[in-house]
Amino acid sequence: MFSLKDAVYNLVAGSAELIPEYVAFARTIDDLGLHTFETYTAAREQVISDQAESMLELSTPVVRLWDGIIAVPLVGTLDSARAQLVMEKMLDALVSTEAEHAVIDITGVPTVDTEVAQHLLKTVVAARLMGAECIITGIRPQIAHTIVSLGIEFGDVPTKQTLADGLAHALSRSGLKVVSA
Amino acid sequence: MEHVPILKIGSTLLVSIQIDLQDQSVQQLQEDLAEQIVASGATGVIIDITAVEIVDSFIGRMLSTIGSMSRLFDAETVLVGMRPAVAITLVELGLSLDGIRTALNTEKGLRLLGGRF
Repeated sequence: MFSLKDAVYNLVAGSAELIPEYVAFARTIDDLGLHTFETYTAAREQVISDQAESMLELSTPVVRLWDGIIAVPLVGTLDSARAQLVMEKMLDALVSTEAEHAVIDITGVPTVDTEVAQHLLKTVVAARLMGAECIITGIRPQIAHTIVSLGIEFGDVPTKQTLADGLAHALSRSGLKVVSA
Repeated sequence: MEHVPILKIGSTLLVSIQIDLQDQSVQQLQEDLAEQIVASGATGVIIDITAVEIVDSFIGRMLSTIGSMSRLFDAETVLVGMRPAVAITLVELGLSLDGIRTALNTEKGLRLLGGRF
């Protein structure tokens, strides 16, 4: 579009009286260019925010494992906004499913720093206030190392190696036993 | 000021809070409850806060005071039906209500107190 300016300039280059018209013409072209660019950016921004939103939605599922036991498998980096969403979704699920046990699986969380640990602990305490017990599972060796190095205390929150161990713990706490048929 | 009714089921006292809690009514509830526990010889107290949507640090602290007070009379306190928003608020306020038991609803609260009613 801007190359039109060059073409027109070559035509009007000879005559001095056409310069004011050329300046006005150039301004219109500039405005058009600017408008195109703004529209493009706005559309892009919209796409990005839509995707971020749907990713946030997708990344925080709460699944019912058993009667009275729910699981929250976390995948990806936990930031404050996500941790908040996870907490809200989990607490809502506790109410709607009347679950007494929640297993938070952090196998898919690549890093755990003090902030993430803080969020996890807050979630556990909030669940306890509502009368449910939380179990944290899937802490990877490197993460365990980081947690200890950072001096983070999980206190009396039960932690298990795998989601399966967590489920077994929750089952035994609800007085259930798995036997082969 | 509104009074919070205290119901007696067996040897359990059921306090269902259905009003917007004011500082005064919580204080009054604390006094009433202490008297009722002594008068009835109850061994368990269930505080149902299903209808409570707003809590502040004062009310949070009062709830935990009620818990410690009941323990002095050898009565166990179970807080039931806390809403997610309320739980998040209490956690953000740094109140974890240690030493007070919790349950998802009144039925589970009664079961938690077991054969005590």
